[in-house]
Amino acid sequence: MRRLARRRWRRTKVRVLSAVLPATESVPGIDPERCVEFLARYRREAPFLPRLALNLSALVFLLTPPLTGAGMRSALALSPSRLERHCEGLSRHRSYHLRQVTLMLKTAAGMVWGADPLVREALGLAPYAEDPSDWREA
Amino acid sequence: MISGEHTAFTSGASVELDVDYVVVGSGPGGSAAAAILARAGRSVCLCEAGAWRDTQQMPASLFGAMSNLFSDFGQMMTRGRSMIPIVQASCVGGTGVINSAIVVRTPDAILETWSREHGLGDFLTPEAVGRAQTEIESELDVAAMGEGQLGRHDRLLLDSLERTEREAHPTSRNAGACQGSGACLQGCPTGAKRSGNLTWVPELMSAGGSVLSCAPVSRIEFEGARAVGVTGRFRHPLRSYRGPSGARFRVRARRGVLIAASATGSAPLLERSGVRLPALGTGFRAHPGSGIIGVYPERVDPLIGTTQGASSIHHSDDLGLKLESLTLPLDLLPSRLSGAGGALASALAESSHMAMWVAAVNAEASGTVKSARLPTLRGGPYGKNIVSYQPTRGDLVRLRQGCATLARLHFEAGATKILPGIHGVPVELGPDEVHLIEEAPLDNRAWTWILSHLFGTCALGADPTRSVVGPDLHVHGRRALHVVDASCLPTTLGVNPQHTIQAVARLTAERLANEEAA
Repeated sequence: MRRLARRRWRRTKVRVLSAVLPATESVPGIDPERCVEFLARYRREAPFLPRLALNLSALVFLLTPPLTGAGMRSALALSPSRLERHCEGLSRHRSYHLRQVTLMLKTAAGMVWGADPLVREALGLAPYAEDPSDWREA
Repeated sequence: MISGEHTAFTSGASVELDVDYVVVGSGPGGSAAAAILARAGRSVCLCEAGAWRDTQQMPASLFGAMSNLFSDFGQMMTRGRSMIPIVQASCVGGTGVINSAIVVRTPDAILETWSREHGLGDFLTPEAVGRAQTEIESELDVAAMGEGQLGRHDRLLLDSLERTEREAHPTSRNAGACQGSGACLQGCPTGAKRSGNLTWVPELMSAGGSVLSCAPVSRIEFEGARAVGVTGRFRHPLRSYRGPSGARFRVRARRGVLIAASATGSAPLLERSGVRLPALGTGFRAHPGSGIIGVYPERVDPLIGTTQGASSIHHSDDLGLKLESLTLPLDLLPSRLSGAGGALASALAESSHMAMWVAAVNAEASGTVKSARLPTLRGGPYGKNIVSYQPTRGDLVRLRQGCATLARLHFEAGATKILPGIHGVPVELGPDEVHLIEEAPLDNRAWTWILSHLFGTCALGADPTRSVVGPDLHVHGRRALHVVDASCLPTTLGVNPQHTIQAVARLTAERLANEEAA
């Protein structure tokens, strides 16, 4: 049960990050499968506070459409145009802390998006090598 | 050839070492001091909180850099009205591994001010610092970036500065063989950046020195007023590690302890170890900066060429500003742009046409760094060090002028629009709208700041009520304890601090070696 809830919440976060950084005609958006892998790595490697910040930011994003005039529903239940309005509204909100929520989401989304080989190819950049995650042991 | 001993994370029996000197921190200051002491024939142990990564072990992605190289996962923030990220590394080589390798000599005027107002005596004279910096430049392959190394984003800034009759120069960097990978932040993928992990730390090992990596020092040990060693416990580099806890380590130092744990780390370590001085942890200073992105009709390809190849000190006297080019990895760019959703994605689609230039303020603001006593949110997460710092209104006024200047320089260089990234200012501005930057809110929360050059908290001076270390960098009231990093610099420099830190550490180590010889 707990595992199922965790999986559903991870899927929700993927949808939130995809809303923050969607595809355009020329450049792909966030690849959901890469995003799931990223979130698993984030959970493994990030300290507690950044993990908490990402989860809280996703939650605030979901619950705040009434504050951005996008509607009275959860963000992911909004129509595409209203979701777009919500994204923009939150990133330019007069509350500094709500703007910081968007910043946190953009930072996480950027790390998935900017490391995606398809995105990098579309922008004329070489793909990243794998992170070795290795160090000198002796 | 490596003949010394390196010990990384271990969970076995405790590690005990007995040496002449122990150096805490392997960044520009610590590695410089350790190498000089080793050359003088002293036995030296270097303790570093982070892991030791060689060139082929450097991460490629931003996430990898945050996880493997940055202090606190890159999430160290100042406390205060606005949260300003602090860029520091935790790895062998320290912040020298992730910085842009810019090398600038200490301005004589700064040394004269320190001598006059902080009672330096004959230690850090312009001649002595100049001699040390000449030697460092020859050891670390320092060179001005040539045409083949500069990126288009650098060349655009240099041309624009020259056209507007401002001082402009390619940066000098300790990366003479830079191949322009645009990946300084992830550690250099080619090894061209001659940071401590590739130069002075291996030299220390060759001279028979010891290196403890993954070894955060928790306390300095004293016998009476004399520092006699350090203790700590090894920490595994992977957060997901669930094995046995790290072994304890204890390094006894017969001749002295040198602290180089950075401007945010040295003062809390001294505080935890029982040093009580009124100035300890105060006088934290920085060069906060912000950038303006220009969008050009042709491709700029900002990730081709040096990360920071162009610089200007034209406004350093009148505004206290340094202007520079800067490349951000693609994975970091979204967080720097305004907006979210479709508008952000559309802006990012033009990223290959963008050039980012930054203004760093020689700020008058001063803050504090304290050691959190309890692992609470109020005291700081996990008992981390708490940095309280906010730029003043005067700093903000000068930053605003600097950003407006950068915007005009972008248009002079041919940009079609600029992306200021300032809350309260439109997302895109045309050539006739630069005045909107000059009218932007004087509120730290409206601006995207970053702190990269940090100073103070263990300031140098003759008066123990106003400083932490004396003119020869020994800690007031203690014996055999020195601070040799950015924390001992009593003021900002107005230029990149790495070269000054290295020179001060080198001169201190030379002095220690010569005193004993005498």
